[in-house]
Amino acid sequence: MITEITVEDLPALETGSQLTCSSAGSTHFDGTLANIAELLRERGPVRMVGLDELDGDALCVAIGAIGGFGPMLELPPSGDEAVSAVRALEARLGKRVDAIVSLNASGPNAFAPVAAAAALGLPLVDCDGMGRVLPLMSQTTYALAGLPIGPLAAASLAGDVMVLDTSTARSELLLRSAMQAAGGFMLCASYPSIVDQLAKCAIRGSTSRVVEAGRLLRGAPDRGTLLAGLASIAGARVLGGGRVVELGHATRTVGARQYPAVPTSVVVREPGPDGRMIRLEGQSEIFLAVADGVVSAAVPDVLCLLDQREPHIVGLERVAVGNDVDVLVMPADPMWHSRAGLALAGPRAFGFPVEHPREVVS
Amino acid sequence: MNRKDVVEQLSVAELVQFGPLGQAKVFAGEELDRQVSGVVLVAELEEIRQCEPHSAVVLHGAAAQGAWSLESALRLAWERNASCVIAPADIAVGNPTAQLAERLRVPLFVVADPARHALELSAAVADTDAARARLTARCAVLFGERGTLRDIVGVINIEVPGVQVALIAEDGHVLAGRAAADHAEGKRRVEVHVPGPDGRPWARLVGQLAAWSPSWALTVRTVLGLARAPLAACVGRAWLRPVRQAASDRVLLDLLLGEDGDDEGARAAGWSVDGNHVAVFLQVREAGDADQEAMAPRVLAAWQEAFPHLPLIPRGEGWVSWWTGAESPDAVAGLLRPYLQATRPVQLAAGVGLPGEGVAGLRRSVDEARLAAAVAGRRDGETVELFGALGPRAVLACIPVPDVAAAARVALADLLAAPDADVLLTALVALLDCAGSTGQAAARLGVHRNTVLSRIERIRARGVDLDSPEQRLALHLACYSLLSAT
Repeated sequence: MITEITVEDLPALETGSQLTCSSAGSTHFDGTLANIAELLRERGPVRMVGLDELDGDALCVAIGAIGGFGPMLELPPSGDEAVSAVRALEARLGKRVDAIVSLNASGPNAFAPVAAAAALGLPLVDCDGMGRVLPLMSQTTYALAGLPIGPLAAASLAGDVMVLDTSTARSELLLRSAMQAAGGFMLCASYPSIVDQLAKCAIRGSTSRVVEAGRLLRGAPDRGTLLAGLASIAGARVLGGGRVVELGHATRTVGARQYPAVPTSVVVREPGPDGRMIRLEGQSEIFLAVADGVVSAAVPDVLCLLDQREPHIVGLERVAVGNDVDVLVMPADPMWHSRAGLALAGPRAFGFPVEHPREVVS
Repeated sequence: MNRKDVVEQLSVAELVQFGPLGQAKVFAGEELDRQVSGVVLVAELEEIRQCEPHSAVVLHGAAAQGAWSLESALRLAWERNASCVIAPADIAVGNPTAQLAERLRVPLFVVADPARHALELSAAVADTDAARARLTARCAVLFGERGTLRDIVGVINIEVPGVQVALIAEDGHVLAGRAAADHAEGKRRVEVHVPGPDGRPWARLVGQLAAWSPSWALTVRTVLGLARAPLAACVGRAWLRPVRQAASDRVLLDLLLGEDGDDEGARAAGWSVDGNHVAVFLQVREAGDADQEAMAPRVLAAWQEAFPHLPLIPRGEGWVSWWTGAESPDAVAGLLRPYLQATRPVQLAAGVGLPGEGVAGLRRSVDEARLAAAVAGRRDGETVELFGALGPRAVLACIPVPDVAAAARVALADLLAAPDADVLLTALVALLDCAGSTGQAAARLGVHRNTVLSRIERIRARGVDLDSPEQRLALHLACYSLLSAT
C-alpha cells in the first residue's frame, strides 16, 4: 500500500495509467505532468489514505475529467480547475470537502485527482469507481450502488465553472453539451458522498495498483517478468498474441450510438497454420475479443494490447498493421460481474448482443 | 420450415446452381456439397444455438452487426453443423472473415436482402422436385444448343452441381469430360450407355455424385439420358462427313481412272493429276463386306488425321490414295506403317505401286498397288508390300487359292494320301521352284541331296509325273495353292 504520491512517482503513475485504459490511448501528457510536478514540489507529496482510515461521515468528491485527449495536450490543465470545481460544489452543498476520491484511476484521470488533492491540500483516497476506463461518467460502481452523480461541479480550461443538479442520466447529457461548448475538456467534481457510502461500492487500491503496474512496465527486465508481475498485480492473462493483420472502422453496421466514438476493429493473427484469428472490437477502448468466432473476453473486463518487443501498452490510436502484440485480459472488479454491473457496462451496454463469457459459463 | 426427410434434400450447390443463391457472392465455396434440411432466419446470434443440423443460417438484424458478429455466426454455425451462412451485403467481408469461413469449412454467401433470400430458399428447399425439374429442363435446352461432344458433356459438368461426368469409349478411352468420374463406385456412380449412330454400343456416359440420394441419382440419370441423343447425333455428323465425301470421291476416281481418263472433276477437287505418282491401296485383312462398311469411318478418320492433304478414296474392296512428287515407293511404305497401327483394332494391309507419270501412270500404279495389297493381305499383322519388290509374283495374288486347292486335293489325291504327304509336298514345291535342280532343292530344304532323290522316288510312286512339260505349270499351281490354303 502506497501512502503518498511524490514527484518521483509521477512517471510510474502515467505509465501504469495506460494499463487499465483498454488501449484507449498511449499518449504522453508531458505538459499536464509538468504542472502536477510543479504543484507537488510546491505543496509537498500528496497523502494517500484508505477508506478505513477516514471517519465514516467524512465528505468525499470524485475527481475526474471528461473530454478528449487533444484539448489536454494543447492547453494542459494547471491544477486550479479542481480548486474552482470543488469550491463551487462546496458552496452548493454548504459543506467542506474532507477528501478526494478518483472517478476512475486510469489514463489522465489517474493523475487529475492527485493534482486536485495537492492543490486543495486534501488527502487522496486510494480507490475509484470504475477500475478501468469507461466512456460514460454514469458507468461507475458508485452509480451501481445508487449514489447520485450530483450535485456536481465542472470547470473548463478557460475558467468556466458550472454546477449541475439533476438526475444521473440528464447530468451526462448536459455535461457533455457544456464540455463541447467549453472546448472539449472539463474537470468534474462529482458523486459527493460520505465515506460510509463509498465503503460499499468503491474499488479499493486503484491508485496503488496503477503506480505498481507503472513501476513494473518501466522496470521489468523481460517479457516473462512483466507478464508474471501484471498477473500478480492485476490478474492479467494473455488471451493470445500475434501480428496485427487488419485495422478498420467500417466493420460494424449497427450498434449503440450513444457513445462519443466510432467503431474500430483490430485483427490479430496468431502465428502458425493453426493460429487463431483474434478480432478486437471497440470504439475508443477495446470492448470485445472474438477468437475464431468465439467471444473470448468482453467489457467490463479490461482488454489491451501489449507490445511483444518493448514493454509498453499499444493504444488504438497507434496500433498499425504488422505490430506484434499480446492481447491481455484483466478481470474487472467482481461488482461489475453482477447482473446489474453487466447491464450497465457489459457487452450489451455497448451494442454487442452477446453474453459476457462469465454469463455463458454460469 | 424444416423437413425431416433427409433423403430428398437439396445440396447447397443446387441452391447456387438453379436457386436463389445464384447471384450471391460466395466465400469458402469448396464445401457446397452439403445438403440443406431447412432455412433459419436469425435475428440474434444466440438463436443459432437452437438450429437443426444442415440448416442454412440467414443472418439479419442484430445478428448481422458487422465482421465480428459474422465471425461469431460462422463459429456457431460450425458448432451446429449448419450447411451454410448467408449474410447481408452491408457487412464488408474482409480477409480474416473469409479465412475463418475457409478454416471452418462453412460456405458463406453475401446477399443484398437476406429476408427475401430466406423466403426463396425456403420455397426451394420445400419443393425439391420443382427445383430439380427446372435443372433438367435447363440442361435439355442447353444440349440442343451445343454441337460437340465436349460441349455437351461440359453442360452437365457446369450445370449439374456436385456431379463429375465423363464420356468414355467402349475401349476405355476418355472422349470428353473429367476422367476422375470413372473412378466412382457404388451408389455414387451413375452410368448410361450411349449408342453410336448405327445403334451399336459406342460409349458410356459416367457420372460421379458428390452426395447421394435416390431422387438425386434419378435426376442425374435423367439428365445423362437426355444427353444420349445429342451425343449420338453429334458423333453421327462427325462420321457422316468423311463417308459422304468418300462416296463422291469414288465417282471422281472412277472417271479419272476410266478409259477416257476424265480428269476435270479430279482437278476441280484439288487432286494431283500431273506429275509422278506412287499409288497406295489399302484393304481390310479378312473382312466381310458388312464389316468393311462399318470400319470405313474409322479408317477414313485416321487417314485424315495422318495425311490431311491426301484424299483416301474407296475403290473396289479397299481404298486408294497416291503421293505425287519425289517420294519413292520405299519412302511411301515407311510413311504408311505408323498409320496402319493407328487404325487398330481394324487390321489393314497396304500395297504400294511403282511410280507412274500422269493419269496413265497413276492408273497403272493403282493396279500394281492393288495386287501388292492382295499379297500383303495374305500375311499376318499390318503389312505393306511393294509391287516393285514382288514383280510378277503379284499375279499369284489374283489366283483364287481356295478353289484351286480344292481341285488339287482331287487331282493329287494319291500323293496326299501318303503318310508323309506334308514332307513330299514340300519337297515337290522346292524341286519345282528350283527348276528341277535336286542340289538347290536339298540346300533349300536343309537335307542331303540323297534324301531329296529318295523323296522324288516316293512322289513318282504316287503317280506324279515330274518330267511332263504340259503338267508342270498345273502341278506347280496345285502345290502352291495347297500350301497357301493350309
